[in-house]
Amino acid sequence: MEQARAGEYDAFVAARWSVLFHLARLLTGGDRHRAEDLLQESLVKLWFVWPKVADEAPEAYVRTVLARAAARSARRRWWGERPVEELPEVAAAGDLSAAVAERSRLEAALALLSPQQRAAVVLRYYQDLPDRQVAEILGCPVGTARSHAARGVARLRRLLADVIEPVG
Amino acid sequence: MEHGEHVEDKDHFERQLALLMHGAHEQTSYDIPRRDRLHAGVRARRRVRTARRAAGSLLAVAGLGLGLFLWPHGRVEDRPSAPRPHPATSPVPVPSTSPSPSAPPSSTDSPSGPPSSSSTGTATPDSTPTTSNAPGAGGSSATSTQQPPATSTATAQSTTAPPASATESAPPDPSDTPSSVISPTR
Repeated sequence: MEQARAGEYDAFVAARWSVLFHLARLLTGGDRHRAEDLLQESLVKLWFVWPKVADEAPEAYVRTVLARAAARSARRRWWGERPVEELPEVAAAGDLSAAVAERSRLEAALALLSPQQRAAVVLRYYQDLPDRQVAEILGCPVGTARSHAARGVARLRRLLADVIEPVG
Repeated sequence: MEHGEHVEDKDHFERQLALLMHGAHEQTSYDIPRRDRLHAGVRARRRVRTARRAAGSLLAVAGLGLGLFLWPHGRVEDRPSAPRPHPATSPVPVPSTSPSPSAPPSSTDSPSGPPSSSSTGTATPDSTPTTSNAPGAGGSSATSTQQPPATSTATAQSTTAPPASATESAPPDPSDTPSSVISPTR
């Protein structure tokens, strides 16, 4: 019984690890180590509720745990960085691929948001969830979730203006 | 429906932002070190949960035991004290209000109260047939209870009401009856 449970659990984690890790990375603003810790904590919690959620929506459970933990975390590591209005880093041609450069810009911009704003933006635009579901996951009213997402996007709009060209 | 509706609401920047987030996806594999780390985390969490559960059970048992230990004492303390058992009165209509001779433990009931001597004196009914008659000029037990403690009363009643005194003064203990106590005749 335990073996079967472990087998199913491992199969799920192996299949969804990459997607979940990317979500964790976005939720932490590109902090790779913290994303790993966050994902591991969430998957450990998943293990203990696996018999209950295995047949329903284990990924939704992990997503909720991840987002709540990321939004709740008041801890902010000090990297010696200062938030600025304009991102100074510009992708250097030749040393990094364009995709990596874009990802770095995106993660750096996300890192400048508050945890709640970042979680709301990621759930709204990466997970493509409606405001009501974002509010449910974050455990806050719909208006608050919408406000977090709107403020986060407004800030990203300024930070990523040169990456995402405005139309026409 | 809501899902489709909010997609329609997105402007160009928001759509590009969503594309950027999806495009930033980096493939990572669930390799063996990660799996071992995850399993170690599960085991550690399980140990913590087991220890927490054991501590909780221990606390519950300790609390229950403490409650059971304190429960009878609390009940006895809270209960209003029951009236002390009145001394048995003889079936013979005796007009006296003095306590019967069989009230050695309630030495406080007797107004004349020599505490221990009276109680010991009552225990020797057999030694006082003569002394009971001596002060018995009045013959009533009221006088005898007032003067020398309950000894004379006891003896008087024992003579007048044999059945009651026989039952009440069942444990005669001659050893602890000083003769000086049973000398109300003086």
